Amino acid sequence: MLDQEERLLRCFSSVFPALTQEEIENATAEAVGVWDSLSTVTLAAVIQEEFNLEIDPDALSNLNSYEAFRNYLFTR
Amino acid sequence: MKLIEALNIVQSQQAESPRRLRLFLACGFTPLHLQTFVRANLRVRLPNVLSEIRTGVFGDLIGSIEHLEPSEADALVVTLEWSDFDPRLGIRRLGGWRPQQLSEISVSAEAAAARLQHAIEAVSHHTTTILSLPTLPLPPAFATRPLQNSQHELQLCRIVAQLAESLSGCPGIRLLSSQRLAEISAPAARYDIRADLNTGFPYTLGHASAMGELIAGLVENRPPLKGLITDLDDTLWSGILGENGLDGVSWNLDDHSQMHGVYQQFVSSLAAAGVLVGVASKNDSGLVEQAFERPDLLLAKEDVFPFEVHWSSKAESIRRILNTWNIAADAAVFIDDSPAEVAEVQAAFPEMTCRVFPGNDTPSIWALLHELRDLFGKSVVTEEDLLRLHSIRSAGSWRKESGALQVPSDDFLRSAEARISFNCSRTGDARAFELVNKTNQFNLNSKRYSDSEWRQFLADPSAFRLTAAYEDKFGALGKIAVLLGTKRGDHVHVQTWVMSCRAFSRRIEHQCLRFLFVELGANRISFEYVPTPRNGPILDFLKSVTGPSLESPVSLTKELFCAEAPQLFHQVEVSVNA
Repeated sequence: MLDQEERLLRCFSSVFPALTQEEIENATAEAVGVWDSLSTVTLAAVIQEEFNLEIDPDALSNLNSYEAFRNYLFTR
Repeated sequence: MKLIEALNIVQSQQAESPRRLRLFLACGFTPLHLQTFVRANLRVRLPNVLSEIRTGVFGDLIGSIEHLEPSEADALVVTLEWSDFDPRLGIRRLGGWRPQQLSEISVSAEAAAARLQHAIEAVSHHTTTILSLPTLPLPPAFATRPLQNSQHELQLCRIVAQLAESLSGCPGIRLLSSQRLAEISAPAARYDIRADLNTGFPYTLGHASAMGELIAGLVENRPPLKGLITDLDDTLWSGILGENGLDGVSWNLDDHSQMHGVYQQFVSSLAAAGVLVGVASKNDSGLVEQAFERPDLLLAKEDVFPFEVHWSSKAESIRRILNTWNIAADAAVFIDDSPAEVAEVQAAFPEMTCRVFPGNDTPSIWALLHELRDLFGKSVVTEEDLLRLHSIRSAGSWRKESGALQVPSDDFLRSAEARISFNCSRTGDARAFELVNKTNQFNLNSKRYSDSEWRQFLADPSAFRLTAAYEDKFGALGKIAVLLGTKRGDHVHVQTWVMSCRAFSRRIEHQCLRFLFVELGANRISFEYVPTPRNGPILDFLKSVTGPSLESPVSLTKELFCAEAPQLFHQVEVSVNA
């Protein structure tokens, strides 16, 4: 799980390079100014490639925080 | 390259760079990750260049191209897909696939192709243009089974092929190779239909990565290498000449040595495109001479210069060949079947590309030929490419006849029957562009130009490009000097001046200045001289005409030039284009 968590952090870091690990862990689309719809699509693409999975397009609109992505990935 | 790697590369720190590269990416879909992959690949290929990518209006690819102004971008990248020829060929626009509608689609695709051709041609006059043809599959719109081509499908393929063929002849356009793309991106794994519907980006990440890699390679347009040095035994032919005899070496199907024949015809094609070809072989020179008389040999002896055939070390042979060609080791490739010889040469010339000829390993030979094509391939074969070998031979004869003197006597120069053809113009010239971007020694400041910078410079009404082609009784050297400048009143400012080192000691540089003073009517010439580690020859020349203490900015008056210039013996021809 730890390794998976690190991989998810790396995915976020590649899209939001200015954020620290702590900021990423608390990141939400609302709180992070540069998090727009393009960032969500890019994040989804990076995560799909990194974890070799398909994210349901209908779920994308709810993936608006680090926590939401984490839950989607690890509690499915 | 994975998307996460591309993002990390794009976001990594870059040293302050003086050079910006502005790309305009025109595509009919959301450019999304394609932009990221193009930027990441450019960063890898051109680490000292800061690339900026702008994109056009979503869904209006042709309009974006038509509205592109010359000052807006250094390069235009056009990625066509079928929906750019008619939106009904994509799935985001519904318009019907009934036979009548398919006929309409063909007609509208024809019209779109004509408009695209016109728009791309117009832009390519001022901006380097990279073009990729449709890479995604056609939709299942046709009445035939997928294993059978339909007439409508073939009509669409013809329209695209005709567009590509027409544009491939334009000097400012580089077409992305569909064959190369298929090697790194399997056609069946390119289309992401879910992403197309959800985000408007139709490429799988793997395909976007492959496209980014090839587009960046075409934008970079790495200069080709210049010379190939090949071994003979078990390389150019199968067998050992000294042991098997003249008829014992082979390159044919019957003797299972066909790939040596393929290698011969490949090397011959390189020679025909201006690549220098030399031979370095530990062999009996008399036997080699006889072998090159064999009528079935596909590489003519006239295409090879020089032959280094003796029993001395290969490294020594390579050194002599490079000296004859006057090129650096990093501009040449050495091929030999002996790993020990290759290792010896590689140790002596670490910057040279050295490859072992892979014996009977046919797939590896095939791969080697593809690698060589990549190293030597060029967009355009110029007239000078075809003259290069002859020109090197002529330079050798000149050195021999002039007694290898640094400064040939007036008598020798007078007897050389030299002719110089000047062309003064504001149009592009592939050879002039190449010469400016590769010459180091007689080079005013080593300023290099991108295609777009070159065109933009010449767009200035006061600008001119002067080229000089040289010929004497020893042979033609082709275009050997280029000068870029501006003329305002009787003042000429020289921004760039280069001359091939093969043309030294012939007073061609004096004749260039005479042209500026006499033909162009200058009274004063200023030079944008910047010292570099390698441009000593032009410094020596400037000192010889302006005085030993070179003052900055460097300038020369007509009066001083006329008083100090040596006697010139060339017959001069001048042509001027508007």
